Order: sequence, then C-alpha cells, then structure tokens
Amino acid sequence: MMTRHSTIWLARAVALFLAAALLAVLLQPGQARAFVVGTDFEKPKPEFSREGETVVAKLIPRAKSSSVTIDFRVSGARLAAVRGVDFETAARPEVNEKNFKSALFDIQVDDVPVGGKIRVSILSSFFTRSTAFYVYNPRLQPPWTDAQAENIDHPERVQELVVTVADGGPFDADGAADGRITLTGGPRDSFWGYALGTLFIRFFGIFIVLSVLMVGILFSGRIFQWLEGRKSRPGAVGAPTAGAAASEKPAASDTRSVASAEVAAAIATALHLHIVRRRTTQPQPLSSSSTNAWALSGRSRMMDERQQQARRTYRSRS
Amino acid sequence: MSWDQVYELLISILTTQTGLPNLVFKQVIMLAIAFVFLYLAVAKKYEPLLLVPIGFGIFLVNFPLVPLMGVGEHGTPELIRAFYKYGIEWEIIPCVIFLGLGAMTDFGPLIANPKTLIIGAGAQLGVFITYIGTLVFGFTLKEAASVGIIGGADGPTTIYLTAKLAPHLLGANALAAYSYMAMVPLIQPPIMRLMTTPEQRRIKMRQLRPVSATEKLLFPLIAAILIILLIPAVAPLMGMFMFGNFMRECGVVKRLSDTAQNALMNIVTIFLGLSVGATMEAEKFLSLKPLLIFGFGLIDFVVCTFGGILTVHIMNLFLKEKLNPLIGSAGVSAVPMSARVSHAEGLKADPDNWLVMHAMGPNLAGVIGSAAAAGMFIAMFQ
Repeated sequence: MMTRHSTIWLARAVALFLAAALLAVLLQPGQARAFVVGTDFEKPKPEFSREGETVVAKLIPRAKSSSVTIDFRVSGARLAAVRGVDFETAARPEVNEKNFKSALFDIQVDDVPVGGKIRVSILSSFFTRSTAFYVYNPRLQPPWTDAQAENIDHPERVQELVVTVADGGPFDADGAADGRITLTGGPRDSFWGYALGTLFIRFFGIFIVLSVLMVGILFSGRIFQWLEGRKSRPGAVGAPTAGAAASEKPAASDTRSVASAEVAAAIATALHLHIVRRRTTQPQPLSSSSTNAWALSGRSRMMDERQQQARRTYRSRS
Repeated sequence: MSWDQVYELLISILTTQTGLPNLVFKQVIMLAIAFVFLYLAVAKKYEPLLLVPIGFGIFLVNFPLVPLMGVGEHGTPELIRAFYKYGIEWEIIPCVIFLGLGAMTDFGPLIANPKTLIIGAGAQLGVFITYIGTLVFGFTLKEAASVGIIGGADGPTTIYLTAKLAPHLLGANALAAYSYMAMVPLIQPPIMRLMTTPEQRRIKMRQLRPVSATEKLLFPLIAAILIILLIPAVAPLMGMFMFGNFMRECGVVKRLSDTAQNALMNIVTIFLGLSVGATMEAEKFLSLKPLLIFGFGLIDFVVCTFGGILTVHIMNLFLKEKLNPLIGSAGVSAVPMSARVSHAEGLKADPDNWLVMHAMGPNLAGVIGSAAAAGMFIAMFQ
C-alpha cells in the first residue's frame, strides 16, 4: 500500500497537473482541446441512398451508439444530390463542432426557377423541437447563419426542418441566380444545453430509482415482519407487542432464542454436576492396621476428600 | 548463394522477424510502466489480483511484432485480442464478474435499513461532476461518461461502460478505477474528518434488525423487477448480479454459488486483467488523456465521498434517529473497503461505536447506484 506521505504528494501532483491543463484550455482553447481530444472517434460518417425524390442519409450521430436516418426533400425544384461535408472545411472559432451532432451536408438542387425560391425539408426522429438549421456560406460575414428554419412536428416523434432558399440569395453557396442552388449547413442542437440538461435529469433519476427500490424494500420488509409476528404469536414467550418494538426484534427468532437459552442452561447444569461427580475420587476403605506417618497423612487426605464431596453433594441438592 | 545474398537475407530476417530493430522508445516507456505496476502489485500488495494480470498484459503487448492484439490474415483474432473480443467487447466478463459479486453479497444490512439506499444515490455526485469537468477539457460526451463512472468505485461497471461507450479509454479507465479503489483508506479519511464534527462521528446507530432467509431470498427478485423496469439498459449487469445473489440465498445450488464466487470469478479475473492490460499499447496509451483521466479519477473519488457524507447530513435533518455521517463515505461501491474505512474512523471517535454493518448498507447501495448510473448513461447514448 502507498504511504500517507506519497498519497499527499500524488494528490498535489494531480491538482497541479489539472490546474495547468485547465489554464491551457482557458488560454488556448482550440489548440489545447485538439491536443486532448486527439483522434475524433465520433465524427459522423453519413451514407446516402435515394428513394424516389427523397435522399436518405444514414449515420451514427455524435453521442449516440445507434444509427439514425435523415430524409432530404425539396419542393419547387429537383433534389440533385446530397453529400456529407467535413466540418474542418467550415470550422470557425465561434462555432462548436459538437453542436452539429449529425454532421454537415451539401444539398444540391437543380431545375430551380431562375431567381426563384424553394423549400428544403429535412426530417428525422433524431431532431428535437429546439433543433435549428445553420447555413454555412464562406462569402458572407459571418459565414454561419441561423436559417430560421420552421420546425414542424410529425407523428412518431419525427421533426421536420423547413428552410426557404432563394436562388442567388444569401443561403445559396454559388451566389448566382442560375437555376441551381447549393445549400451547405447542418442541424444544430445546443451541446451544453443537452449535456447539462440530461445530466441533471439523470442524477435525480438515480435518486428516483433507488427511492423506488427503498420503498419496495420497506414495504416488503413490513409484510415479512408482520408474517413473522403472526407465526410467533401462539406460544411466544415475551413476544414484542408494539409495531416499533417488533421491527427491532423478530418475534419468531426471539421466542426460539429464549426457549433455547433455558434448555442450554439446564444442559449446562446437568453437565456440570456430571463432570464434578466424575472428577471427585471415590473414598477408599479405611484400614487402622498401620499407624506410621505415611498412613496418617493418607488417612487425613481421604477424610478431607470425603468432606469436600459431602459439601458439594449438599450444595447441589440445595 | 553469394555472401551478398546471405547478408541481405540476414538483414531481412533481422528487420522483419525479430523484435529488437523494431523496438521504439514509446514501447520502452510502456515496458517501464508495466514493471511499475508489477512492482506495486507484488512488492507492495497493491490490488495484486488485478494489477498482476493488467501489468503482465501491458508487458506482453508492448514488444514489437508480437501477434497478441492484432487480427490474423483471415480475420481471426490473435490470442489476447480473442480474450478482449469475446470477453470485453461482447460485454461478457463484466457481467460474469457481477454474477460472482452477487453470489458473494449478503444484502442483509441493506434490507434491514433501506434508507441507506439514498446514500448510495448521493455518492454518485462525483460521477456527474467529473462528467462536466471532462467535457470542459474537450472530452466527448461518451468519453466523459466513461471517465465519470470511475468515481463509482466499481471496476466491472467502469469496464462495462467504457467498453460500450469509449473502448479506446478502457486501459486508462480500468487502471484508474482499480488504483483509486486500492487507495480508498488513504483518500477517504481526510474528507470524512473534514465533513464531520467529533460529536457527529460519535453518533451511535441502533442495532440492525435480523433479516429472515425468505426476505433475503426475495430481495434479488424484487430489486431486479424494480430496477430493470425503470432502467432496462442496466439489465445485463443487474440481472447477473441479482441472479448470483439468488443462487446464494436459495441454498439449493450451493455448488453453483460456490463456483460463481470462487473458480469462475478467478478465471474471468485473469482474462479481464490480461485483456485490459493489453489495450495499453504504446501508440494508443501514451498521450495526455490517460493523465487527465487519472487526475479526474481522483477528483471523482473525492466528490463521491463528499456526496455520500453530504447526503447523510441532509437525511439527518429529517430523521428522528440520526445516522452517523461516517457511513456516507461508504456510498462509493468499493465493497467492503469503504465500509471498513467508515468503521475504523468511527472507532477512532468512540472505541465502542461499531459501524461496519451500518456502513455495509450504503456500500451495497453504492454498487446498485453506480450500476444505475451506468445504465442511465447507456440509455442516454442509445
């Protein structure tokens, strides 16, 4: 085992290291985090398929272990293609990649009336009512804009984000009114809002789960104590009467212990008497023929033993 | 064959078939780390049952060109990779360990005083505080959850959750969890003394009521029903835990219970330790993250201890019969180490104050609480 002294030093070293690391994160957040994070194991890798006029993206979003699907549809034009975009190409210090849990997409639309408007719909059961759609256009300042998408509820917890885009408008990445629209962006949820919200709910969730278990045990315990009390009532010696007392002393086991204590005392007394009798030597018959010193001493010892035996017998009988 | 060809062949053999020319500095560092853990386990008796196989796993996989953690040409896993794949990746070993733990556990103190379950919940505070802390440092949500669970002081739960959410952190998380579990007698007492007054430490608790065999027998069934209904994601861990306990309490499968407690537990511990150690290859392990994990692990333990004691203080505001706040620290699930620490601190305050059985309640609640926290995290990321 480690000594107390070495533990104190370990604690100091850990505190110092964490303080230094925190300072680094605060001073150089981007670089320090990149150094800590290392390989991005959670980067979403969408796979696309086409079902009629709908393009479906299947991906494992950040902070999820199972895959989700996102449907892309367009009204007022033809959806040409959708592809995934690496966030690094659109990274800006003011934007946190973790807010974009389901990746960035490049949505290409053809056959748009020149200078006209279209509606791009993005549907998924992964979205929530607070999910927004952010558009990335490097020609604008700032390049990231909230598209003010409509968030529409559908059955089975599906949410639909609807973005209105004008050909050649600020959301059109090519910037030209040419009958083609390229919309780059992605659904955005607040990372910290989700992290802290779920944290709060789950911490109290543990209290709720263990409280339910506590109530269950208390309830079943009461039933068991009542049943034990009923069993012990006939012939119980000194069985508890009050409910509180009953909770301290299980009636059945106590009754058994009182009875067994009496039996044990009786057995112990019997054993004691038996052993005492066996230990006491039987008196020898006296012979008065010899009168030397040895004989007198022996006679005296025998008399003492007889006297002792008589006393023990008397005591045990009384 | 000319001398040039012999020379070329020799060089080829040396570079492609022997390890020495391929040994890199990072591997030497990892071998040194392996020796440190083996030394701590053997010479200092520091969690030897786990650190010996973990240390040896680190030792073995950090030699160059060793066919241990790779995948063969036909997709067949190599030796330790097979242990890892079928034992940890398939989530079998942590659940089997929970089976053994269940078979070893006497829930009597918890059944006799169910209020202590709340302490087990309060002691999960560190799990969530660490979760936030690691997020600030740039960890992902899944990584943060797997690091946070270290404070629950439950090795198998940590391994189970990490293997599910962030397998690349398995070695560091397991090592931090087991290291700090061994250091419970050193980490907890200062916090316990800081958070209690001498009078509070002397509080004597009423003797626990005896629990009948029938109650103990039905407990795993009742607990499994309630917990699995509320958190289905925790069914593999809790199901095995309660099954092990049911085998123990039913009394008709003594051989099975004995096997789960001893032989089976020992076998899976060997494979668990080796597999966890083998995940610590130099290329993956030597970075800033493991150091941060060790740092946060310590904070996690401290906050969990704090949370447990704080929960007792809060409970005492509402209870007629006060609880000794020292039992709060046992809310972390290092069974029975943290219960013993509570008992030892209680004896220091009053030599007649025997807290060990009272502390076993929160200790067992901690096991359930940390498994519940793991289940919550798993459900969150499903």
